[in-house]
Amino acid sequence: MGCSSSLPDRTSGRLAGPNIENGGAPDPKNLRVKLVLLGDSGVGKSCIVLRFVRGQFDPTSKVTVGASFLSQTIALQDSTTVKFEIWDTAGQERYAALAPLYYRGAAVAVVVYDITSPDSFTKAQYWVKELQKHGNPDIVMALVGNKADLQEKREVPVQDGIDYAEKNGMFFIETSAKTADNINQLFEEIAKRLPRPPSS
Amino acid sequence: MEAPAAAASPSVTFYDFLDRMRNPASLDLVRSIKSFIVSFSFYTANPENDGKRVQEFFLTMEAAIGEHPLWAGATDEEIDSALEGLEKYVMTKLFSRTFASVPEDSKIDREISEKIGLLQTFLKPEHLDIPAVLRNEASWLLAEKELQKINSFKAPREKLSCIMSCCRVINNLLLNASMSENHVLAGLDDFLPVLIYVTIKASSPWIFLHHLFDHISDLDVVHFQMKKQAEAMFVMERIRFVLLMANPPQLHSNLKFIQLYRRQAKLVSEAAYYFTNLVSAKTFVVDLSAKSLSMDEIKFEESMQAARLTNIATQIEASPTLQGQTIPIPPTAMHDKNKDISDLQMPSIGIGGSNYPYMDAEAGELTVGDVERLLGLYKDVVTKYRSLCTAVRHLSVSKTEPPVPHSEGTSFLPKQPEGINTKIDIQRED
Ligand SMILES: Nc1nc2c(ncn2[C@@H]2O[C@H](COP(=O)(O)OP(=O)(O)OP(=O)(O)O)[C@@H](O)[C@H]2O)c(=O)[nH]1
Ligand SMILES: [Mg+2]
Repeated sequence: MGCSSSLPDRTSGRLAGPNIENGGAPDPKNLRVKLVLLGDSGVGKSCIVLRFVRGQFDPTSKVTVGASFLSQTIALQDSTTVKFEIWDTAGQERYAALAPLYYRGAAVAVVVYDITSPDSFTKAQYWVKELQKHGNPDIVMALVGNKADLQEKREVPVQDGIDYAEKNGMFFIETSAKTADNINQLFEEIAKRLPRPPSS
Repeated sequence: MEAPAAAASPSVTFYDFLDRMRNPASLDLVRSIKSFIVSFSFYTANPENDGKRVQEFFLTMEAAIGEHPLWAGATDEEIDSALEGLEKYVMTKLFSRTFASVPEDSKIDREISEKIGLLQTFLKPEHLDIPAVLRNEASWLLAEKELQKINSFKAPREKLSCIMSCCRVINNLLLNASMSENHVLAGLDDFLPVLIYVTIKASSPWIFLHHLFDHISDLDVVHFQMKKQAEAMFVMERIRFVLLMANPPQLHSNLKFIQLYRRQAKLVSEAAYYFTNLVSAKTFVVDLSAKSLSMDEIKFEESMQAARLTNIATQIEASPTLQGQTIPIPPTAMHDKNKDISDLQMPSIGIGGSNYPYMDAEAGELTVGDVERLLGLYKDVVTKYRSLCTAVRHLSVSKTEPPVPHSEGTSFLPKQPEGINTKIDIQRED
């Protein structure tokens, strides 16, 4: 099992240097955003993050940073940068009750399901409801149908994802961490939807 | 994980802060700091309010330092170190007033400690489905030791950095496993169970007995043969350290203290993430039931019950000797002997009351005249410890495995002991 590797298709949009930690007032040109990943165990949350942050699908290759907290800065067209601080959560059922500790204060929640698993889609809807009830009211939510490369095994129709997302005011996208399809688009679209602090 | 942000070591930063505060130009700042600290003695403890007041004070001081002539032309890093120094100074001064300052918190600490004591006796890595490639005793022990250091510091930043170090050790373990064993990284699903397991192992009262023993052996070597004051000071510091280390672990209070008093701008990003994971590990333990584990429900209940009985046996064996030495047994334990076991395991050591008047003393405040008294206390602690050891040894009749087989008896002095040993003060006459 595990992620078999394929080459990253894109390295643009990255900033070379580390983002200077900005503890004070939010800088409208350089946003720092807490993003939490939710979804059933095995839907590909960790693979999506690795793909986005390191451009790789194979998590067994040499790595130098922690596996559950990762950050990545992207530059947008309007020369603003967004630093995503990505909080992985544990997908196993025994940890489900701990999720509020992780999504508290998050500006973005990415809810992931696996298009080959209707159960994971049901679980995604559970997370959406949970976030609507207990999350930060301004939270930007994205619904992600992952493993889009497994078309022949698809069990959740695209339209179901689109409809559910639309009903709940979420952004929707199907991705594949394996082929890198739509991974960067996912984060770019989120960045565009972030509420901007008024520039001073 | 990213390298720590500050280049200078915390102690260098801190002495730099104290130096600047001794500069006559900083008189106004020193006045505000002192009057803020004094103002705390006017109110009774209320953690949420106290936290808010301290955070507001940090912000006010941040503005004041930013505009202060002493810091004219200073870089952001220099101002940041000053604020770190300020946090350490203020929170060290207010420590006994703000740490575990309300009975509810001590109660939660005790309950967690008790539950962990029970889990200790039977919990195995497989109950949390920790994969075999991640079962690395050496790494776990290292992570536990990093976490245990949390009690040897008073400054929120230093306490937080113990958590970070512990998590860093676990992350390295995961990364090594992913490289050498071809283990596919599962993100937090790998990390969290290991952290929970390490937290349970690191938080047992038993471990603190082991450390107590380590230090007592060290002290036996020193043997109070000192003639010079320097030696006396050294021994007194060691005794103080033994007493501090003998405190039962205060997982809840440590987390709450960091949450409330670490400068808010610093409890973000990666630090906030790993902090949250320890909160999460604590919450998991508090709510832990058979359903949380890969373990048969009946087996779980039986193991918990067996662990409770073991602890009661300890208590019965230990009590007569202990009472013979007029150790005050907390009234709660008197009421419900079956419940408040941790109090009896650690009779009064954790209580900074009149029996151990040096619990809140700073090393610098002690005089040679205190040696006799400290020696008496030391003997008292050793005697109690020996009684406890005897009582514990008698427990081998029980079929449960010995709790926490920590065989290696290395000493456990923290690398940077300034958190507890160094007397800090802004010395000036004003
Ligand atoms: N075909 C295909 N497989 C994928 C894709 N993304 C992830 N996987 C596989 O799905 C499995 C689970 O991926 P993870 O990223 O570990 O899943 P997770 O959501 O992080 O799971 P938990 O950490 O248990 O919550 C791995 O074996 C991956 O190889 C994808 O886009 N396509
Ligand atoms: Mg994962």
